[in-house]
Amino acid sequence: MGGIRQYARRWITDRREDGSPTQPRDTVDRIGTDGVAVHAQLWVLTLLIVFPIFVALTVSTKQQGIVTSLPDLIPGTHAVDNYREALVGYGFARFMWNSFVMAVIVVVGKLVVSVLAATAIVYYRVPYKDLVFVFVLFTLLLPVPVRFVPLFQLVNDLGWGNSLLAITVPYLASATTVFILRQHFLSIPASIVETAKIDGVGPLRFMWSVLIPMSRGVLVGVSIIMFVYAWNQYLWPLVIIDSEANQVAQVGLQLLQGDVQGGQLSWSLVMAGSVLTLLPPLALMIYFRDPLLKTFTIQQK
Amino acid sequence: MASRELFHGRLEAAVLLAPTVLVSVVFLYYPTVMAFRTSLFDAGFGQAPAFVGVEHYQTLLTDPAYHRSVGISVLFAALVVGGVMVVSLYLTFLIHEVDVRQGAYLIAVIWPYALPPAVAALVFLFIFHPTLGVLTGPIETLGVDLDWFNDGPQAFAVVTLTAIWKQIGYNVIFMIAAMNTIPDALTETARLDGVSRLRRLVSVYVPMMTPTLFFLVIINTIYAFFGTFAYVDLLTSGGPANATNVLIFDLYREAFSYFNFGVASSKSVVLFVVVGLLMLVQFRLTDKYSYYGG
Amino acid sequence: MEDSGALNFGREPLVPLCGGRTPLSSGFHPAVETPTHMPRNADTDGGLTRRRTLATTGAALAGMTGLAGCAGSGGSATFTPVADELTAWHAMGGTNGETLDQIAAGFEEETGMAANMEFQDSYENVLTNTLAAFDSGNVADMFQVDSLFAQQVFDTGQVRPVAEILPDDFDTSIFLDNVAEFFTTDGELASLPFNNSNAIMYINRDAFEAAGLDPDDPPSTLAEVRAASQTLVDEGVTQYGIAWPNHVWFVETWYGFEGELMTDAENGHTGDPSTFYAPDPIYDLYDWWKGMADDGLYTNPGIEAWGEATSLFIEQETAMLLTSTASVAGLIADSEEFTVDAAPYPTISDTRVGPVIGGASFYVPDGLPDARYEEIGQLLQYMSKPSVQTTWHKGSGYYPITQPSVDSLREDGWFEENPMYNVALEQLQQGDASDPATKRALLGPARNVQTVIQDKSVDIVNAADPASEIDAMKAEIESVLAEYYE
Repeated sequence: MGGIRQYARRWITDRREDGSPTQPRDTVDRIGTDGVAVHAQLWVLTLLIVFPIFVALTVSTKQQGIVTSLPDLIPGTHAVDNYREALVGYGFARFMWNSFVMAVIVVVGKLVVSVLAATAIVYYRVPYKDLVFVFVLFTLLLPVPVRFVPLFQLVNDLGWGNSLLAITVPYLASATTVFILRQHFLSIPASIVETAKIDGVGPLRFMWSVLIPMSRGVLVGVSIIMFVYAWNQYLWPLVIIDSEANQVAQVGLQLLQGDVQGGQLSWSLVMAGSVLTLLPPLALMIYFRDPLLKTFTIQQK
Repeated sequence: MASRELFHGRLEAAVLLAPTVLVSVVFLYYPTVMAFRTSLFDAGFGQAPAFVGVEHYQTLLTDPAYHRSVGISVLFAALVVGGVMVVSLYLTFLIHEVDVRQGAYLIAVIWPYALPPAVAALVFLFIFHPTLGVLTGPIETLGVDLDWFNDGPQAFAVVTLTAIWKQIGYNVIFMIAAMNTIPDALTETARLDGVSRLRRLVSVYVPMMTPTLFFLVIINTIYAFFGTFAYVDLLTSGGPANATNVLIFDLYREAFSYFNFGVASSKSVVLFVVVGLLMLVQFRLTDKYSYYGG
Repeated sequence: MEDSGALNFGREPLVPLCGGRTPLSSGFHPAVETPTHMPRNADTDGGLTRRRTLATTGAALAGMTGLAGCAGSGGSATFTPVADELTAWHAMGGTNGETLDQIAAGFEEETGMAANMEFQDSYENVLTNTLAAFDSGNVADMFQVDSLFAQQVFDTGQVRPVAEILPDDFDTSIFLDNVAEFFTTDGELASLPFNNSNAIMYINRDAFEAAGLDPDDPPSTLAEVRAASQTLVDEGVTQYGIAWPNHVWFVETWYGFEGELMTDAENGHTGDPSTFYAPDPIYDLYDWWKGMADDGLYTNPGIEAWGEATSLFIEQETAMLLTSTASVAGLIADSEEFTVDAAPYPTISDTRVGPVIGGASFYVPDGLPDARYEEIGQLLQYMSKPSVQTTWHKGSGYYPITQPSVDSLREDGWFEENPMYNVALEQLQQGDASDPATKRALLGPARNVQTVIQDKSVDIVNAADPASEIDAMKAEIESVLAEYYE
């Protein structure tokens, strides 16, 4: 993030007559230029956006978790109890592990499958490739609730009910990933491609030595997005997985909820579970934010 | 582009494309086609399927309640897409402008993307519940009577707000990347020329980000129509008086609560057509207005 | 693109039911035999003929995948158990789920047979997974279904009455009449009642006293509730008088106590219902409801908002709460700042016929290997043992449903020490089980009717002219029924 600023700073610095670089401006100076107004607005807006997680966190630290007014948002003292109850008492750790396995397989699978497809679409001269691209892109419009019922039957017919296969294979095609990869591949300088052509490189070699190294940032970024997507899947694992041992975290949240019609109030436990399920994708997003934020440029053909 | 086409092997290309195409066909297209076929039948639990032809479509085309649902969904989508993009754009711009703690702001803004929609809806319920909400007291002191279990437009507003809030993160991710590619020279020139911040955003940045923005319009539209089910389900259940009965919720309910698979399938076809048309319009606009330079 | 989750908090979640089967491929329908365990002897010949025609048409159009569909193709499927050990699919989360696990462990200790309780998130999902299991052939040994959806289970024709599975020496008359009545069809017990409840009222004793009301003489009719609410609000003790989750069960309970049928065909127990009844007492009910809302004595916590209604009570925003008897343990635990007490459900008028039951029961699929049924029978028997029922009751709040269990709890003085637990039971046992109005409605399109009543109730309460909205509700329900049963 500092790149632009540094560039600008250099530019301004260069404008000084004697040509010597001026001292880097200290924080107060920088804020001054940024404008208090800008920071103020950012504070307000980000506070609004962050507020809900704060509510969730607070509820998860309370005993019952009923919050009805701002003063109620003082964190309680039951955090350890609630989280331990969720993780150990309800075996939430197991659910999270299942989610993790599923998400990793889906991410890796989607990456491999989509890299192959994008390579074919960009680097092959075959007459039908545009058609295939549109064909894949079109799947964005095929709504989940429509395909859901027949999909369910299909997967059961395949004998995959309650299995890891059922919650991974149907996700392996990704229109968004193919789209993004295609955009990215198109931005790789033609000169490199020419060189490869001259060297007579084969497709696999090309992918391995050229495309993938040049796409690291994008691949990481796309992986994060796909991880979040897979991790947050609810409806499909709900119906296709029968046994608690194989169930994923999002569905497992229901177990924490308890029997509400039977009078069990467990807001705090559910929020604890929710925060737990939030952590892995959030952690990944934070840790990999650079590739995530830098490389999603949608470039024109 | 021709210079990029390194390889010619049709079989090779087919092999590379096979996994994606295969999965798409088997797990996406086939079930969709099957489900669309169901729209020609009266199908439900405990009944054998009965062929009814286009009867469902006739019913939908003449049902004023359904028309209302379509109207509500389109309005909802327009507000969500517009709202998300405006807020995200402004936020991205502010973040782009600052130097200090940019990373922190970014994380604070994009984190909702990682949150499951159901949890988001639940938390918003905690916050805005007409009697139990955390912010309900303060809001009422401002003069607004929170009564969205009974007041249609208010319920609509709450659901819209939740939907917008949740999607900001995703948009900011893409917008900041796009904004970062804008040459600093332009920024500095504009700044030194005394162009105001807002002006700079609208007249300089936005035109240069059009490919990204149009990509996001499409993604956001898909989100608004297909990805907002959880908010309606948990906050309003389509009410009150069907004020928030957007097409996706109506569809889910028809299929998975009422088990009228035939009717539900026909509703999904209609939804699909509506969104498809919107996509088409958006693609046309993209071509017309995209900025190719840079 | 993004899948939407559904953290439901007691709202009936929207999940597919019919095993994901598009009817087009629901397989070959042979000449329709009446499914052997169709408990309703109600089908008029017209109904059967209709089914036959539809089935044949279906067979003609359907793909020939040869799999048993969920369209009631007859109970001749053979199933394999989904696991070696006995498996029960249930929807009890939280501590209730843990109590169930304990029961399974106790069973294993006593009989040496392993039993596994698998949580399936919700009643709907249990049903979905069961129907999928019917398709794939690997079924759980028993599954828990909410009483609201009983009809739909019957419609599969793939369940075996538990009366035929329980050991011969098991006396099915031990179940409390009022409970067993609902689950008995054609004279035999179709499913094992397990977690049943009815609706009662909870009051905040301290609030009552502060308002000058007598907590030992709680309101017993709606008019009295209004009076009490008025006092509570006027005295500034609580913000509202009463609240309850906007769930159809409460409306059904009001019908039941009033001795009024909701639909014809004795609430669907003797045939296909087609008419919805809205007699005068119901107009009175909604007038009262609207009045309470307009005057700020009642607040709407949300549709099927069990948790929110309870929260309102715990936060002392209301002094009265209508909810399930199963909440008793939780309420006692959560009401640290005041004393809670239980009272019978307030009725529309002085008529007090009886409540409708709520909760769920365990069904067993038909078509498992014969040897399996012996084991299932033993588990069913174990779950009905007085000691197990007592554990379940004390741990969950659902009332014990066998007489021996009730008796033993009485002997131990449990109900004296914990009178709140007794309120629902008494209310149940004082109800007139022979009155068809107290049998919860058996509707095919149950969820649809439920949603109509719940949504329309809000409209009625907000309307300027409730009567016309009630008529609109009636019309809508009848069209739903007509569509389903055509």
